[in-house]
Amino acid sequence: MITPALVSVVDDDESVRESLPDLLREFGFAVRAFSSAEEFLASSCVVQTRCLILDIVMSGMSGLDLQRELTRRGQEIPIVFITAHADKTVRPFLLAQGAVECLFKPFTEKALCDALNAALGAR
Amino acid sequence: MMTQPITRNGGWTGFQGVNGDNAAATTDLINILDAVEFPIVVVRRDFGIACFNKAAADVLGLLPSDVGRASRDISVLARVPRLEEQCSQVIAGGVESRANFRAGDKWFVVRISPNTKGDGQVTGAVLTFTNVTAFRASFDQAIYERECTKAILNTVADPLVVLSADQRIQSANRAFYEMFGVSRDETQGVPLFELADAALGPTPLRTQLEEMLAGSHAFQPVEVDHVFAGMGQRTLLLDAHPLSLPGHSERRVLVTFQDITARKQTEAAERKRAQEKLRHSEAFLAEAQYLSRIGNFAWRVAADEITWSEQLYRIFEFDQAVPVTVDLIRTRVHPENLAAWQDVIDRARREGGDFDYESRLLMPDGSVKHIHMVAHGGRNQDGELELIGAVQDITDNRRSEEALSKAQSELAHVARVTTLGALTASIAHELNQPLSGIVTNASTCLRMLASDPPNVDGARETARRTIRDGNRASEVITRLRALFARKEAATEPVDLNEATREVLALSSAELRRNRVILQAEFADDLPPVTGDRVQLQQVILNLLLNASDAMSGVDDRPRQLAVRTERDERGSVHLTVQDAGVGFEPQNVDKLFEPFYTTKSGGMGIGLAVSRSIIESHRGRLWAARNDGPGATFSFSIPCAPEGVMGSRGFGAIRTPAVTNTEHTVRNS
Repeated sequence: MITPALVSVVDDDESVRESLPDLLREFGFAVRAFSSAEEFLASSCVVQTRCLILDIVMSGMSGLDLQRELTRRGQEIPIVFITAHADKTVRPFLLAQGAVECLFKPFTEKALCDALNAALGAR
Repeated sequence: MMTQPITRNGGWTGFQGVNGDNAAATTDLINILDAVEFPIVVVRRDFGIACFNKAAADVLGLLPSDVGRASRDISVLARVPRLEEQCSQVIAGGVESRANFRAGDKWFVVRISPNTKGDGQVTGAVLTFTNVTAFRASFDQAIYERECTKAILNTVADPLVVLSADQRIQSANRAFYEMFGVSRDETQGVPLFELADAALGPTPLRTQLEEMLAGSHAFQPVEVDHVFAGMGQRTLLLDAHPLSLPGHSERRVLVTFQDITARKQTEAAERKRAQEKLRHSEAFLAEAQYLSRIGNFAWRVAADEITWSEQLYRIFEFDQAVPVTVDLIRTRVHPENLAAWQDVIDRARREGGDFDYESRLLMPDGSVKHIHMVAHGGRNQDGELELIGAVQDITDNRRSEEALSKAQSELAHVARVTTLGALTASIAHELNQPLSGIVTNASTCLRMLASDPPNVDGARETARRTIRDGNRASEVITRLRALFARKEAATEPVDLNEATREVLALSSAELRRNRVILQAEFADDLPPVTGDRVQLQQVILNLLLNASDAMSGVDDRPRQLAVRTERDERGSVHLTVQDAGVGFEPQNVDKLFEPFYTTKSGGMGIGLAVSRSIIESHRGRLWAARNDGPGATFSFSIPCAPEGVMGSRGFGAIRTPAVTNTEHTVRNS
């Protein structure tokens, strides 16, 4: 039996935490959802996570803070940033920082699929 | 023939002897002569004393021994001036003569008559002495009085003239002669109207004088103007007084000429000055009324008489030749204001009182004027009900108020759009979140339905979430539309807590993005305020975003933002927004609220100015204070309006000042 790859979702918006995991499961992934960066870091999923879908703007630690923290810890998890702030200028910056993709909410199923493939393929 | 002195009754006289036949007759004669009070002395042709009577002895002190002596040797007779000469003339001519003389303190008139014998021969003269001392004294007195009177009359500056019954000049004073440039001799006996016909021209004067001379006492002083040679134009006031002389049937009239030229000139000057002053003050008032567009009126209710100022004629566009009546005014009142206007009229007719009333006039050309009337009705001096008031044409004020209100509304809209522009990112975030949910859920749903077998329960669940997220997006749109919409100011009860919560919901993403830590404290017992919900929310949003911006550069301390609502003991509702930002300098506290004052690089500087005008239009206050620590606190308070004050706005209502303010408030909001 092949264990499905674990995708972790970190977003402070509840509707994302509700909807996105279901879709990812339909894709065939294992999914864990966290409402904050701190909660994710404190969990046991950090090392198992094959792809991190990460909200940029959150109260407390932001998505970028978490990325920096993971780099500091040597945890090279492919990251797909998602954001509701439609600021296109942020994408090149994030990609340059090592992100696999930056998706602007609302994003299509295909865009998500492509990003995940890129993330897992990059591995 | 010798005359024997006759002594009788202790007195005697030196008459020459009388024939014995005639002795009895002689005695009678002597008695008669002695009984006469007047001294009588008979002198001969040689001026020797022939005889004298008893009174001559008594009064003149003649002695019996004086008979035969020359009259010039008798001291008392020697005083009669030219006695011998006069006696000679009388004896020679047979004609009487008179002389005055004084003996001691007595004055006498001496009549010298020829002493003629039966044969016509003149034998001497008879001197009859009449004592005129008393008469002379009264005569002298009369002369003295007359001279005094004359002197007085001559010193009187006003001309005086006495007229005889036929209006001829009897006498006059010096002033009279000088005035008419004539002498006394020229005027004596001359008819007054012949002398001064032109000067005394008016018939009434002549008629009155005639009536007075005929017995009337009444005289109405007459004013005449005349140009006198050397005196120029003079105005004289003629008066007349009847003079009745005791014992005289003739009536005379004293005519006085009072020169009132100076008085008339002074009066004329004063009248002119008063008229000019009045004219000036009237012109001043008219000008003031014109400039201020205020006219005034007085309405005597019972008589229905209306006094209408010139400016009011202009405001109402009435013809000044037409008398103003209540009915005429009614033709100008705007039909929508007629009922209220009639109320005012009825109340003024009934009881008077104070009126403060705004109305509209509909002009014949269809234009509308706004007027403001202030009036007081009460009893005047005559106890009549009178309404006195002023009417101001406030059309221009209204128009500029409306223009100002429109401009403020436009500015407020600009400010709102600007504010919302700053919120774009936040708005997009708020919308993208539910949209993201919708898209993801829909994708999941399709996949669940497409799987074999279809996961119907899962699909139903995701479809339900899709609907929920759709509603969530819809709510955001609704909130946005409320804030973006440019609509007329509304007046409704506003729960400030609820309004604040909505604003926080809309801006929370933006605040979060700025890493602002929000702390909200809402009072439980907050009464609603009356006003415009959207405008108040705009103010709250503005204060929140300002606070957030003020902290955007703060990294050394938490970006704390506290929002509080509370009510104070005076029944006002407060909202405070406290930040930990850069704050402001004390000297700039007043500038903060000035339009186009800004410390932000991207700000227009109208947010606080507009916010303050909004709060003030809600009869509230908006102010700023520096915190004890870093940052600033902005607060506003709005009184909770008592019920009924926020009445419907409209002209024609009899207003109270409170309502005026409310109207103003609503107008400017």
